[in-house]
Amino acid sequence: MANAIEVEGLSRTFNSRRAVDDISFAVEAGEIFGFLGHNGAGKTTSIRMLTGQLRPTSGHARVAGCDVMAEQRRLKPLIGVVSETQNLYERMSARENLTFAARLYGTGNKRIDEALDQVGLLDRANDNVQQYSNGMKQRLLIARSLLHRPQIIFLDEPTRGLDPIVGRDIRRLVMDLSREGITVFLTTHYMEEADQLCSRVAFISAGKIVALDTPDNLKLAHGQKSLQVRLNDGQSLMIPLDDQGSGEKIKQLVTSGQIRTLHSAEATLEEVFIQMTGRKLSE
Amino acid sequence: MNSRVVSAFAQKDIVDAIRNRYLLGALLTPVFVAVLLRILLPGISNLNFTVLVHDPGSSRLVSELRSMPQMKVITATSPEGVANELEKSKAVGGLVIPASFDSDIAAGKQPELVVYVNNKQNDIEQAMFRQLVERQFLASVKERLPAHLTWIDVNQEARGETPALNLNQMLLPMLLLLTFAMAGALVVPLLLVEEKEKRTLDFLLTSPASLTEIIAGKALTGVVYSVLFAGILLAVNYKLVGNWPLTLLTILVGILFVVAVGLFMGALFENTMQVNTWAGLALFVLLAPSFPSLRLPAMLERALHFVPTYYFVEALRLALAGTASARFWGHMAVVLASTVVAFAATIWALRRQQN
Repeated sequence: MANAIEVEGLSRTFNSRRAVDDISFAVEAGEIFGFLGHNGAGKTTSIRMLTGQLRPTSGHARVAGCDVMAEQRRLKPLIGVVSETQNLYERMSARENLTFAARLYGTGNKRIDEALDQVGLLDRANDNVQQYSNGMKQRLLIARSLLHRPQIIFLDEPTRGLDPIVGRDIRRLVMDLSREGITVFLTTHYMEEADQLCSRVAFISAGKIVALDTPDNLKLAHGQKSLQVRLNDGQSLMIPLDDQGSGEKIKQLVTSGQIRTLHSAEATLEEVFIQMTGRKLSE
Repeated sequence: MNSRVVSAFAQKDIVDAIRNRYLLGALLTPVFVAVLLRILLPGISNLNFTVLVHDPGSSRLVSELRSMPQMKVITATSPEGVANELEKSKAVGGLVIPASFDSDIAAGKQPELVVYVNNKQNDIEQAMFRQLVERQFLASVKERLPAHLTWIDVNQEARGETPALNLNQMLLPMLLLLTFAMAGALVVPLLLVEEKEKRTLDFLLTSPASLTEIIAGKALTGVVYSVLFAGILLAVNYKLVGNWPLTLLTILVGILFVVAVGLFMGALFENTMQVNTWAGLALFVLLAPSFPSLRLPAMLERALHFVPTYYFVEALRLALAGTASARFWGHMAVVLASTVVAFAATIWALRRQQN
């Protein structure tokens, strides 16, 4: 499958600080690609370079087949961006926000109702955005980014600060986009979200990519396979599956009838992240 | 540059400025000031004027002047005496009235009335004196002028090169500049800074709109509001315009300059608080050359020559007086060059921030 995003040795320095340090990766078309890191790790700087908002200090990036700096005119109609701040015109209604965006992109007004319907805001289209909840604003941002039917969408922390139900709705929406063939470049603080949505994730720490693979491969490569056993007396045991003799131990517990529950307990993505970067993602 | 994109910005901002009470207040300020000036400025009836007259025929005109409570009339013994006394005295003006003035008017002739204006006196007083004389002899007569007025300026070196204007002509440049300053140097930077503050500029920079189109859209908003309010002011004061093409040209160039200054401020500052803090100073500097009664120390007077709006005001006064001199075009060249510099500085500042 062709690559939607190709990054080669991309760096960005602010004064003497290297915010993004020689990162290279590729994202396949139609993939949901997770870009995970702490605050200040270089996620937003990377997105800003990939969307043509910021000039890289060195390196190259091609997005949707366009050089991000040399072919901005061609690139911009091919991408949609949902930034981490809810950058909507709050004194305007949802429909007015989208009408303005449609004029910038040169798409007809017909798409406005479709996009609002896609995110479930059609019935509140004429309300001022000031009256919207955070979740509604987030959905409107997604609608705006989809208005011109982009090939690639960049979502910077799309579920941050949202209640779990709205977060779930947004995740469903992201899955739908992927099914429609749109490539999703996602940054998130929520490891479970990345695990659930992303076909591959990259961990970025201090501007460098420290790991890049599918969530399963990362968990297998960096976690310890084990079984979590709860006994009838309330005691809980963790039995590593790599140990010699672990099979015998499990056999003994089963035959003695002491087991109340038995679960596989593979490493979580969060644990892998901590192992690789030394800090929790939410810190 | 894509006109569809530029007009999309302008349309959004024009509507948005009305919805934003603060911006709407700023836009309407010149209207309030214009109304306030009308109310607060003393009318002809309550002025304190000292006027020198040579009136050998004891005309009705001097009797009328004497009947005005705040009018002090001093009689000069000869026509030369009016001019000579005026050079030394604090009188704002003088009249030399022919002996047969009343009978000539009654006979339908147009006697010559020589009016001296003392340029040493306060600009407003001079302007109001001119207005008093015009009103007395011209404005009240619809068909035919009862007297032929000859204007003579005394102590002309005190006025410099500013053309002789009546009070309304004096105030009109100030009101126009206030309008442009509010729309261009306050509303425009606030619109631009709000895009940064609310991070909507990030969205715009990922859209097909270029930086130049964003700037042009904001500029168009400032121009539209300035033109709208300038149109209203000119429509109300259409009698004051001596040369329409020059006046309109001056106004257009002036609007572009002030809008360019506003864009530069918007590019320079990061939030509305910074704009509000600095806009007061910027507005004062931009408006200072238009204050009609400003009598500053020579050094400050010279400093005003470094403010491009000084040249705008001078050009506009010449245009209102109907004077199309080389001096007018010189002033226009300064304003135009300053506009280009301000636009270039804006693009530079925004590009620098972007990278």
